[in-house]
Amino acid sequence: MLEDQIVRITSRLVAPFIQVYGIYVILHGHLSPGGGFSGGAIFGASLVLIALSFNLEAGVKQISHQTASVLESGGALGFTVTGLIAIALGGNYLANRAAGFPLGEAGQFFSSGAIMVITVFVGIKVASTITTLFYNIIEKETPHGNSKQAD
Amino acid sequence: MESAGHQPVLIIVTLLISAFLSPLLYRWRKFLSGMVLLAALTGAFVTALTLLGQVARSGELSYYLGNWPPPWGIELVIDPLRVYMLLVVTGVSLWIFVYALRDLEHELHHDVIGWYYSLYALLVASMSAMTLTNDLFNLFVLMEICAISACAIITIKDKRECLEAGFKYLIMSAMGTGCFLLGVAMIYMVTGYLNFSFIQTGLAAALSEYPLNIFTAAALFIVAFGTKAALFPLHVWLPDAHASAPSPSSAMLSGLVIKIYAFALFMIFYRVFPRSLLDAIPLNEIILWLGAMGVMFGSIYAMLQTDLKKMLAYSSIGQIAFIFMGIGLDQPLALTGGLYHIMVHAFTKSMLFMSAGAIIYSTGVRRISDLAGIGRVLPIPLLAFTIGSASMIGLPGTGGLISKWYLALGALETGRIFFLLVILASSLLNAIYYMPIVINAFMSGDEFKEKVKTVPPSMQATLVVGILLVVISGIFSRQIIVLFEQALTSLY
Repeated sequence: MLEDQIVRITSRLVAPFIQVYGIYVILHGHLSPGGGFSGGAIFGASLVLIALSFNLEAGVKQISHQTASVLESGGALGFTVTGLIAIALGGNYLANRAAGFPLGEAGQFFSSGAIMVITVFVGIKVASTITTLFYNIIEKETPHGNSKQAD
Repeated sequence: MESAGHQPVLIIVTLLISAFLSPLLYRWRKFLSGMVLLAALTGAFVTALTLLGQVARSGELSYYLGNWPPPWGIELVIDPLRVYMLLVVTGVSLWIFVYALRDLEHELHHDVIGWYYSLYALLVASMSAMTLTNDLFNLFVLMEICAISACAIITIKDKRECLEAGFKYLIMSAMGTGCFLLGVAMIYMVTGYLNFSFIQTGLAAALSEYPLNIFTAAALFIVAFGTKAALFPLHVWLPDAHASAPSPSSAMLSGLVIKIYAFALFMIFYRVFPRSLLDAIPLNEIILWLGAMGVMFGSIYAMLQTDLKKMLAYSSIGQIAFIFMGIGLDQPLALTGGLYHIMVHAFTKSMLFMSAGAIIYSTGVRRISDLAGIGRVLPIPLLAFTIGSASMIGLPGTGGLISKWYLALGALETGRIFFLLVILASSLLNAIYYMPIVINAFMSGDEFKEKVKTVPPSMQATLVVGILLVVISGIFSRQIIVLFEQALTSLY
């Protein structure tokens, strides 16, 4: 169908730009509005867009169920471990400058020490959670709560 | 205040890490996933014990997250009462988890057990953090984590009534947190602080200038924690939620989750509100009357139930109200009783739900009238049920007596004889609905009719531990009471 083609080609063209923008928002979380959550949501939206305009299989090809849930746990783990590194460096939990993370010059790209590391992990976590949530909604539920793919 | 070591935050972080790991591990190594959480819970309990030693040596300690001193950063405070609560939370959740390891295989589909472990760890982490935090907004965030994971451990059992109960709980609980957030905003408006200690001094000064804001905030807090802890008129979500959940979830929800909010209300009353506010409006009096009504109505509703777990759930409404009566009487002895009841009821109600779970596990029977003669086929679960009932009634030799004794002393000390009568009447009512089950189970002439599956040894062992805990809390209470006396004198 013609309409289908328009939607598919547009979203295929747009998706990489959305993803780059998402990464930009994540990485500039300490400098401009946005951060891990908003950037992650933008990145996740691009994956949802592909699954919506093509079909679920195309979406799953981008990021599989398994990968998404590993990334979800990994993002959260990364956050907590960053906090623990601060303890290892001699500060309190989640300490930034006090633990000796290099802060750099204010306004520069590398100017926030541990905050940027944490925003990246939050971004990973949110992006994978958004896709997992979306997959779970469009997949059929079986009686025992584990999901199976719909046709 | 001295600075503590890293133990307080490590307790919370260890549990969080195991929450994130368990669903991953469960994909590849099912056995390991449970063991990791078991190790994390044991670690948390042992660390809490070392904190107790630290507090005994050097008094109140504090920990600044991210090295930001208050009022800017989040502060964790370790004092005797918080450590007591932390020990109850970590200890009881460890104990219930040993039971859950076997029971869950029976109640849940094996695909979701990894997620259950994750939710369980999140729930314990949020509750441990709620006991330690000294920051109102942090408390709000933790309440949300606690509420969501508490709802999820109900709905994880994919049954119609669980989903319905979980949804009802979610809505009520979201309204509770909404009220709390609004109250926090009002307090922040007049004081400019979120840290408990700073607010306390700030409120004392602001009380004469902005009384309406502060009164509204106090009302919102009572509604918020009342809903969360199932204080009498706000209890409607509790029976369905606690009765339909898998048994380990029921034990956690009835044993710990409602109590953590009662403890949070206690903290708000005595660590956030200045004395002048409690004197200006009868906050304690409101809590006292709601508590007294809860004690009576909880027991009366429980008498009408035909389902075993539903009866236990209604009984929780009556028992949580004792803790609120302790706060309501606003007197050191009554508070001692209320705080001690947190521990006693955590032991007792968790054990009762676990023995109900063991009965359901091995026979599938849930109706009270079908339990005739079951004591002869399932001696240990029913013995646990008997000891638990005795503690609910407040018979000598069980923990229930100690807490009710101190509550009654508190009522006498303040000259409120009426509330002494309420406590006595509720004990009688408890006897009316607990005793027939016990008598019927052991003395009934009928043979038990249903097919019986053996209860696994680990489940039996947790029940035996429960019996010991209830009896020990009834006989060796002196140490903890002394700890309360010392801690509570600083409040008056």
